[in-house]
Amino acid sequence: MTDTAVESRRETRSAGPAAPPLRPQNRQFAVLAVLVLLAIPLPLILPAAQGAVAVRILIFLIMAVGWNIMSGFGGMFSFGHAAYFGLGAYTSAYLLVEHGVSPWVGMAAGMVVAAAVAMVIGYFSFRYELKGAYFALATFAFAEMLRLITTSSDAVNGAVGYQVPLIQGSSLGQMQFPAGSPAYFWIALVLAGGAVALSILFRHSAAGRYVVAIRDDELAAASVGAPVMRHKLLTVALSGAITAVAGAFYTQYYLFIDPQLAFGSSVSIEAIVTAVIGGIGTIWGPVVGAVIVGSLSDVTATLLATPPEFLSFLQGRSGLDVILYAVMLILIVRLMPKGIFGTLAEKFSERRRR
Amino acid sequence: MIVRRLIAVLGVGALLAAAGCGGSAPSGAAVDAAGSGDGPVRIGALHPVSGSMAVDGLQMRRGAQLAVEQINESGGIASLGGRRVQLTTADTQGKPEIGQSEAQRLISDGAVGLVGTYQSSVSSNVAVVAERNEVPFVMDVTASDEIFQHGYRHSFRVQPGSAKISESAADYLKQVSEQAGEPAGRVAVLHEQTDFGTGAADTFEAAARKLGMEVGPRVSYDATTASDFTSQITQVKASDADVLVVAGYYGDSLLIAQAIDAVKPDLDAVWGVSNGAYDQPKFVSDAGELGDRYFSTNYHFDAQNPETRRLRAEYRQRFGAPMRTGAVLSYDAVQAIAAGVEEAGSTDPAAVRNGIARAQIDPLTVGDGPVRFGPDGENVNSAAVLMQIQNGRVKQVYPPEKAESDPDYSVAW
Amino acid sequence: MTTTIDTDAPETRAPSATLAVLKRAGVVGALVAAAVAVALVQSGSGIVVWQSVVTGLLTGGLYGLIAMGLTLIFGVLDIVNFAHGAMLAVAMFISFGVVAVTGLHPYLTMLITVPALFLVGVLVHRGLLSGSGGATLENQLLITLGLSLLLENGLLLFFGAEPKNVGLPGETHLDVFGAVVAGSRLYAFLGAMALGLLLYWMLQHTRLGTAIRAVASNSAGAELVGINVRRIHTLTFAIGAACAGAAAALAVPLLSVTPTLGEQFNITAFVVVVLGGMGNVVGALVGGLLIGLVEQLTTIYLDGQSSLLGVFVVFVLVLFLRPQGLFGRRT
Repeated sequence: MTDTAVESRRETRSAGPAAPPLRPQNRQFAVLAVLVLLAIPLPLILPAAQGAVAVRILIFLIMAVGWNIMSGFGGMFSFGHAAYFGLGAYTSAYLLVEHGVSPWVGMAAGMVVAAAVAMVIGYFSFRYELKGAYFALATFAFAEMLRLITTSSDAVNGAVGYQVPLIQGSSLGQMQFPAGSPAYFWIALVLAGGAVALSILFRHSAAGRYVVAIRDDELAAASVGAPVMRHKLLTVALSGAITAVAGAFYTQYYLFIDPQLAFGSSVSIEAIVTAVIGGIGTIWGPVVGAVIVGSLSDVTATLLATPPEFLSFLQGRSGLDVILYAVMLILIVRLMPKGIFGTLAEKFSERRRR
Repeated sequence: MIVRRLIAVLGVGALLAAAGCGGSAPSGAAVDAAGSGDGPVRIGALHPVSGSMAVDGLQMRRGAQLAVEQINESGGIASLGGRRVQLTTADTQGKPEIGQSEAQRLISDGAVGLVGTYQSSVSSNVAVVAERNEVPFVMDVTASDEIFQHGYRHSFRVQPGSAKISESAADYLKQVSEQAGEPAGRVAVLHEQTDFGTGAADTFEAAARKLGMEVGPRVSYDATTASDFTSQITQVKASDADVLVVAGYYGDSLLIAQAIDAVKPDLDAVWGVSNGAYDQPKFVSDAGELGDRYFSTNYHFDAQNPETRRLRAEYRQRFGAPMRTGAVLSYDAVQAIAAGVEEAGSTDPAAVRNGIARAQIDPLTVGDGPVRFGPDGENVNSAAVLMQIQNGRVKQVYPPEKAESDPDYSVAW
Repeated sequence: MTTTIDTDAPETRAPSATLAVLKRAGVVGALVAAAVAVALVQSGSGIVVWQSVVTGLLTGGLYGLIAMGLTLIFGVLDIVNFAHGAMLAVAMFISFGVVAVTGLHPYLTMLITVPALFLVGVLVHRGLLSGSGGATLENQLLITLGLSLLLENGLLLFFGAEPKNVGLPGETHLDVFGAVVAGSRLYAFLGAMALGLLLYWMLQHTRLGTAIRAVASNSAGAELVGINVRRIHTLTFAIGAACAGAAAALAVPLLSVTPTLGEQFNITAFVVVVLGGMGNVVGALVGGLLIGLVEQLTTIYLDGQSSLLGVFVVFVLVLFLRPQGLFGRRT
């Protein structure tokens, strides 16, 4: 059961080089390759502070891709992706700090743990037929329970959390580099690129097509013989595993994790908002959303640090970034339910058809 | 419908464009290696000037600013031919990851040292950045002792650590209660359950036991959800405790005061340990008579020091609010870095680090002597002081050499 | 105890159904009694447990009042309003502001918070939730989530995060068989119960209430007999929001007012709503009392754990085992 995440990764490897049967898939891989190539020189161009923003964007991107697989493609609205982010972060931090295990191994372990937990939560939720709001509330409750339990468990340092021990110099094996090193960005880029590639593969795999069919009409899909439970479990496992990667990388990049940062509800909200603003249930939506949401707090902080005249009363106040993305969230849901990317893509294809 | 959508797309596009331009605005021009040239010596200040801690963060930024002004008025850095000092500020927003990237920005802008950050989780992250860049980081307010267990060479702290405050609290309790002729025999402890409250309670319990006091019952609570402490205080009342120790944040400590007023347990004293409320003027005005005669052991500005009085008067005059202890600590922390530069005669962060380690400054906060850092980076002369709310004012009452008036070991109900 | 609003098709309530509800109430009562007994053994002090029970019930009344608005909205409109806690926070700030400026008695601010929140409810429903954009469940979740972020951070932006406090003039303390009860908490509890009954009466015995129930059980049918369903939806949403306004005025002397205070109540209110059965007003009141008790007993059972943990455990159990709630019928 717990191997699903690993299995799907193996799938990636075998499916990657061989010519896949579907054209849209190839096109998406090509776009991904171009995007990744374009992004490679970024940390060398950007000043240090913006380099940090770029890394933050990539972390958001991975989270949103993870959420989108389960809630966008799968239609299972999760309000608790902090659970998987936190499990990834805590598993890798725990293994590294307490047992000296390389963060790469920790990341893989975190993926397995998150996938397993996702499947357990998923199993019970599907078994008891929790849907819609009930499912969302249940996922939220599980994430919060993990936060409360971690906060009061001495075994994982309670509310203090973990600080990643510093090493001398840099080491790829320990995923630690000098401050401001572009290596962080490149690692995040590889991870994010991998996450997007996985989501492309998933979307076009049998499981992905089934899950979308189930999302759109569960009864019909079940009646043509789709093994609903198995595909749904595979989906939540993949979703959890990808989100865990974001958590594990977060820990290595910021060198610090505590229960609130790992399991707090704001993590879940960030994953949701990013995916929805970009375009729920699309491959590129999370990418677009991450660029916006990831840079927004930096922009508003800059704006408020030296506010223009008419905003001077806001100096020293905070919350503007969240207000902006809240407004964007509402506007997008009301006016363009497919998100920024989804709507633009629709416009383009309409025009081409004409 | 299409028009509406189009408008939405345009709006979002505009935001996106703003993100692109605004995002690259802040640093850019600022990177001019100020540390080595003839420009001012830059000291970076990281505080949460927005977000839920904004009031304290802004106080502390201003405290740091006042220190810089004082240094410049008295001739700048003498060993560098009177070079002036400049404060470069950053907003942590109360978030560890923002604190980290902002610390990095200040360092790449040429800061010779950093002060900050008010919150332990943010300081943990900044300490890592400082260590990796080999730039000294002098913490003003940071309660957690955990940061000093990693052997960082570039982390220093002015305030007494959480453990030191809790030990002093036990110490003072024994002495004050014995002087009053009612030695504390059994102490109940009520604490919030994150590392702050739990750490304080653990250390206090160990120290109190060593001094021959019994501890119990010990009750913890979740400060983010607790809305009524009547049951907890009833539990204290049902025990035979003489004293109630409270280690909590502001809101919960206020609720506890209300519950104490309701239940009226049979106590000799209420004893705050690193308490977020019981030495705050705001608590006095919010709680009114409820808080009368509450004790609190904490770090504090030195109310007996004329320099401190002058500084606080200036602050009040300029900013229209009483200067809090955190801001005075920021003032001390900036002075420590400036003294380090003076000592080193250089703006090379590595030399400044060694300068800080050798420097001594007279603090405006309560201490056992000049600020001097031990090999672990802690201020060896940091000290906690006992305060009590008397007649609607927070007064230092113990130890005697720091006291503004005598402790009144009793309760108001 | 009867179900006021059912989301499923109405059926005549047979005596056996009432009996089933009574039986369930008995089971719940027995469970509560057992839990209290275990707490008694665990703590070994009668007075502490008694105080916990009293405190739990008093706090629970408030939870019930907040949850009533939420459950009403869910029952009639099928909307899970994530912004309910944020609306509560807005009302608290209004209440605080009015007290600070005019010196009015905190409870009298209800005269302002209730209409104000009613208006907010109307605006939110008409502006954001009605029409096609607010149709699907996900969209409603996202819109109300966005709204809650907007309201909370708006309060943060304009009022800052420093906690604000409102004292109750003439605060007294009562002795209830050894347990201490602050007057402010008792009044809030009684107020919550009174408002709960008022809402129940309104639903059962007024034309508006009848219309609301008709829309809840069968909106297409209601439309046919000439009820303006959209108008009823808006009114219901507004009434639900007004409940938060009333709760705010009652609770403002009990809490520090901060922009994020709604978060904590939002979580609890959802648990209460699910526990009482989504859409069941009386169930919400009872659920509130139960959750209040669970919180207090958790702190006795599991020292060092957050009281929320117990709440979530109960929540997950109810979600899995009785998603229709203790007093609802399976849909």
